[in-house]
Amino acid sequence: MKSATVSAFALSTMLFSASVSFAQELATKDRIGLADAPKSLVVRLTNDSPNNADPAIAEGYQKLFVDFIKKHPDWKLQMQFMSSDIGTEQAKMLEQAKAGNAPDCAAVDSFVLSQFMVNHVLADFTPYFSKEEVDDLFPFIRDGITDKDKTVRAWWWDTDLRVLYRNKSVVADAPQTWDDLKKAALASTKEGMEGVLFNGGRWEGTTFDWLANYWALGGKLVDDSGKPVFGEGENKEKFLKALNYFKDLVDSGAAPKRVSTIANYDDMNAAAAAATTALFIGGNWQYAQLKSTLDEDEFKNWTFSPIPGPTADQRSTGTGGWTIASFSKDKDKVEMCANLAREVYMGPANALQQQLPTRKSLFDKYEVFSTEANKTFAKALVDGQARPGVPIYPEISNQIQIMMGDVLSGTKKPEEALDAAFNAAMEAYKRL
Amino acid sequence: MSPIAIEVDSPPQSRTFMRRFAGAPLPWIMPVIVVIGIFYLYPVIDVFRLSFTNATLIGDTQDYTLGSIVNALSSPQLPDILWATLIFVGGSVIGQQILGLAVAVTVIRGEKRGLFGTTILRTTALIAWVVPGIAGGIIWQMLFSEAPYGALNSIFRLMHMPTVAWLSDPAMAPWSTLISNIWRGTAFSMVVMYAALKAIDPSLYEAAEVDGATASQQFFFVTLPQLRAAILVNMILITIQTVNTFDAIITLTGGGPGRATEVISLYVFNIVFRNYDLSGGSVLSVLMLIISLGLAFVYASFLPKEEEQ
Repeated sequence: MKSATVSAFALSTMLFSASVSFAQELATKDRIGLADAPKSLVVRLTNDSPNNADPAIAEGYQKLFVDFIKKHPDWKLQMQFMSSDIGTEQAKMLEQAKAGNAPDCAAVDSFVLSQFMVNHVLADFTPYFSKEEVDDLFPFIRDGITDKDKTVRAWWWDTDLRVLYRNKSVVADAPQTWDDLKKAALASTKEGMEGVLFNGGRWEGTTFDWLANYWALGGKLVDDSGKPVFGEGENKEKFLKALNYFKDLVDSGAAPKRVSTIANYDDMNAAAAAATTALFIGGNWQYAQLKSTLDEDEFKNWTFSPIPGPTADQRSTGTGGWTIASFSKDKDKVEMCANLAREVYMGPANALQQQLPTRKSLFDKYEVFSTEANKTFAKALVDGQARPGVPIYPEISNQIQIMMGDVLSGTKKPEEALDAAFNAAMEAYKRL
Repeated sequence: MSPIAIEVDSPPQSRTFMRRFAGAPLPWIMPVIVVIGIFYLYPVIDVFRLSFTNATLIGDTQDYTLGSIVNALSSPQLPDILWATLIFVGGSVIGQQILGLAVAVTVIRGEKRGLFGTTILRTTALIAWVVPGIAGGIIWQMLFSEAPYGALNSIFRLMHMPTVAWLSDPAMAPWSTLISNIWRGTAFSMVVMYAALKAIDPSLYEAAEVDGATASQQFFFVTLPQLRAAILVNMILITIQTVNTFDAIITLTGGGPGRATEVISLYVFNIVFRNYDLSGGSVLSVLMLIISLGLAFVYASFLPKEEEQ
């Protein structure tokens, strides 16, 4: 009996060691798959990958990638990872793609997808995704990944949206309108809070979070040809109205002046943790972050609601997310990249990171999306609006960031700042 | 291996090769020329070439034109950007120079007197220099934070002093970026000044003491003149370094609020990576090169000539 137990233990140890060493062979820091696999795919990813800073998520991705490569044993993935300076990374990748040196398969930020499309560097993904899968995508996602010929050029696998977070113990009812928010924020300052916080510093988040207000009014940044129109006619009026709303929040004390220095969603989490604010505009992913940051009792006080509009029925929210695209001219590699998008990212990765899927059916498929919070986020996607997929957008965003700083700090009057931003965007548009 | 050993051990063919090129420097420095040419000179030449085109990051074609130069140099933003750069570079050079010299003098004096803590002081200053620019920006962002829990303002509150809008006030923000850059660069100046102070002949101080010179007279009439070359070389180096600095600013303020802290290097970054304007960015890069070289030549003209040394 004893010898049988020892033998069984030895055998199981041997099998375990073999499986561990096999797993280790399959996944190194920069390679997934066997080193001597005959086919190779160069993949460049963000931290939505085994490179994630959170060990649990990194491990989860590692497992997904190993499972994926086991289904494709002829292949190995040569992994490359981007830094957090996404704008620069994407611009560099575009240059590489134009020179024919881009990775075979890569993460492309949804809002710069058009830059890659207009340069015709993205492979055709149409054959690898069924009509049903494409039809199941949210409309703004479907529009974002298809070019003028309705060819699928990338697979947009996750999305997000902005909401208004509030501490229920301080602000009991969800503000529905701009006026409601101002009143609630002013009331919170009487309880020693800072008022409502939002991004107002020099970074993309400032533009994106504020645009919800402009979009709620029906404003447009560019026309159908991609030409900036936000400083003209009706759009100008709407733009000024949305800009004056933020200015009024700061001038009235409903928001602190320091919002013009906020260029990071983590600042809002920090303020919530320090109990110095009861209201902030943030991303849906922050709900999970608050849960892990705050004590259980404190977290119970926090909830979220749609971003208030000028009126209760005028709502909008910014949506973003990441795509997987191929730059390869080799059909096998393009197919393998599409497989990666489908088998790792379209669903499993959403569930792993609780990042909102881009297809309605996936909300029902994964249990994590059945929570009340995720159901509410999913409903709010109805009001979702993506940034315009045009080459001039990054410069429009840059100009809006400058404009916001000038207006919130009182350096320029709103109309003067808007005119300067629009003129600069038009100058840049002419040079593109 | 000594030259004699080469002579003895080398095969005849190699000896002939050595002898043939023994008096000619070119073959020996050719590898360096090739490396510099490929990795330094070629990019500079390409930047000059691109500045005469209308190249963009997303365009397929590029034509040669003077339009990019005219556009970039006539941009209404450029005067403000140059002003912000002047404040940042000028303030950094002066601040780092003075503080670096002060720390070096303190360390030297402390060492002479065998005081405790000179190594700690030197190491502390060097830590700031070793910290990467982006990390430095994050450190100062926490210190300057205007949130109720912001580090510096919390100290002011404890001392019942008014708080400061370090980063949200467009008038204050340039000074805040300046403080962070001086903090970071002081160590470099300290190292240069420390080496130069060590090289001063002690007999000069002995002679000054015999003549009855006070400590301040010794500093102004012995130390400073002896440091002239080191100060000017240091100024050249930190000017070039500061003109090119943008990592710390991008983390600390991103160039804002508005454009209050957008220096020329950050402006170039934005033009290339936000606006995809490769030619405009190249024109401004050439402008940065001209500014750096111009200032370097001005400083160099004050360097002591050989006969003065």
